[in-house]
Amino acid sequence: MEDFVEIKPGGAPLKRIYLNLMLWFVGRAVQAASKVDPAVRQEFDSMPMGFIFSLGAFPSGPWMVVEKDANGRVKYLGQRVKDRNIDLRMTLKSMDALLLLFTFQESTPVSNARNRLFVEGEVPHACTVVRILDMVQVYLLPKFIAKRAIKRYPRWSLKRHTLDRIQVNIRTLIGC
Amino acid sequence: MPQGSSWHMPMPDNPSNKEAAMYLPDYYEFCCRVKTVAGHQALETIPDLLSDMGAQKPMIVTDQGVSGAGLVDTVMTAMAGKVTPGPVADDVPPDSDLRMVNGLASVYRENGCDAIIAVGGGSVLDTAKAVNILVSEGSDDLMAFTGANALKRKLKPLIAIPTTAGTGSEVTIVAVIADPDKRRKMLFTSPFLLPDAAVIDSRMTLTLPPHITAPTGMDALSHAVEAYTCLAKNPLSDAHALEAIELISTHLVNTVKNPGDRDGRLALATAATLAGIAFSNSMVGMVHTLGHSVGSVCHVPHGTCMAILLPYGLEYNMHKVEDRIAELLFPLAGSEVYASTRPHDRATAAISLIRKLNQDLFDATNGRHCTAFNQVKTPEGHPAVCSRDLEAIARTALGDGSIFYNPEELDFDDCMLVLSAAWDGTPLDRSKVKQG
Repeated sequence: MEDFVEIKPGGAPLKRIYLNLMLWFVGRAVQAASKVDPAVRQEFDSMPMGFIFSLGAFPSGPWMVVEKDANGRVKYLGQRVKDRNIDLRMTLKSMDALLLLFTFQESTPVSNARNRLFVEGEVPHACTVVRILDMVQVYLLPKFIAKRAIKRYPRWSLKRHTLDRIQVNIRTLIGC
Repeated sequence: MPQGSSWHMPMPDNPSNKEAAMYLPDYYEFCCRVKTVAGHQALETIPDLLSDMGAQKPMIVTDQGVSGAGLVDTVMTAMAGKVTPGPVADDVPPDSDLRMVNGLASVYRENGCDAIIAVGGGSVLDTAKAVNILVSEGSDDLMAFTGANALKRKLKPLIAIPTTAGTGSEVTIVAVIADPDKRRKMLFTSPFLLPDAAVIDSRMTLTLPPHITAPTGMDALSHAVEAYTCLAKNPLSDAHALEAIELISTHLVNTVKNPGDRDGRLALATAATLAGIAFSNSMVGMVHTLGHSVGSVCHVPHGTCMAILLPYGLEYNMHKVEDRIAELLFPLAGSEVYASTRPHDRATAAISLIRKLNQDLFDATNGRHCTAFNQVKTPEGHPAVCSRDLEAIARTALGDGSIFYNPEELDFDDCMLVLSAAWDGTPLDRSKVKQG
């Protein structure tokens, strides 16, 4: 079994480009939201320093990797999962399953309920990451799309819906 | 109580009911490859089951209550002359933890065992599954296998013999083990955690006292109800769930009043297995999310938590899954009551029936079956759940994996809303449930 050749799925370049773009955007938005939103910050506070999590598709990506570094700062680390000590891996069974998620045809809970998502790592941390991703989606998406992606659209303050949303989106675009 | 020996859902009355009655997800998975042997004399098949698995020296995992009640002796007698069992580890506590699992794995290895027979309730069966992970993987670090689908290969042979008709662990892909340092229950899910065989024998539950029979039966009911109403429901798990609900509704109160009713015992054990198959394939929601956390923080028995929380979970989710809850009225109350209840009243009626079931069990056990958390006492007679514990319970609940499967979102404030009502024993004020 040691010498098997791993067959990577080919084709579907447009899907891969789209998903790469979405994961890049969401990864940077997580970093941005951690600086703007106290609730997102509070969720990260429950994670240990140096905690790294990833979200992507089995077997060969694409991925996004996010770290809460030794100083407590949240950083989007890019798409490389190899050689990283990842504490929590959230993996969709295929690129198609990831596409369902990122075209908002399925929410994360429904994806999980349909056994498309598997988690390696501590479940409480996975719950935290899902809550963070839910909040990030509310920041990034218009309400009618976000309502498809999460269980309950939150009743946020006007400031959070407007000023904070603008800040998160600008920071996501410029990467800070 | 239901009428008729099997249920057939009547044709739906309106389009929304039709949609719910014919629920078919785009995709679902269902797996139950546990050989189930059930009856009044099922234990006698154990030697053949072991032989089929190629096992010769099983370790017996149990607890002192089961051992003290003579149930291990009954199993030993059934195997006598055909199997030479290994050690009997009878010190599994009600909330088994990582240290206990590591200790039992060492006993297994030191005695050169090649299989496990678990005789007990949920804690024993889950402990046996966790021990099986360590001895099969050659590991001492159970936490490396926490979460969903972390196991990648078949484990050693495991035979599960439930002694409570509630947990369903004999047919589930789940094991729950406490992490005492973090005061949290860790969830392990994998198809490889399914036992190789489940032996359901009425002799194993005959001596269960009424005040234990009642909450374990409600535990099974909570499995079936949540399997039917939560996000991962599917047609196959639905079929198991509805049959389980009817069996429990028909037999639970009678069996609590007549503990020696062998047929009632077998019916409840069968219902627990059916409910286990259902929830193993569609998981459970907030009743378990909160119940696991009450168990972790306050050490309240799981069945008691389920009995108390079940009506609250349904009330909380009502606006999302009213049609599904309404359908529960049929197996709970039977065709006549279902037909004579107006469609928009059925969900409320189903929840009221579950509350009534709890009250009937309270009466039948002379008040030992609790219907609110403020009634639950420690063995020393002190309140087990204080109102000041509720915040810690709510915080713990936010890290429980079953929260994913609940139809409605559940944040800290939502948990507090439900826990406060369940502590008081007053129905949930549904106007306070957030909707988005």
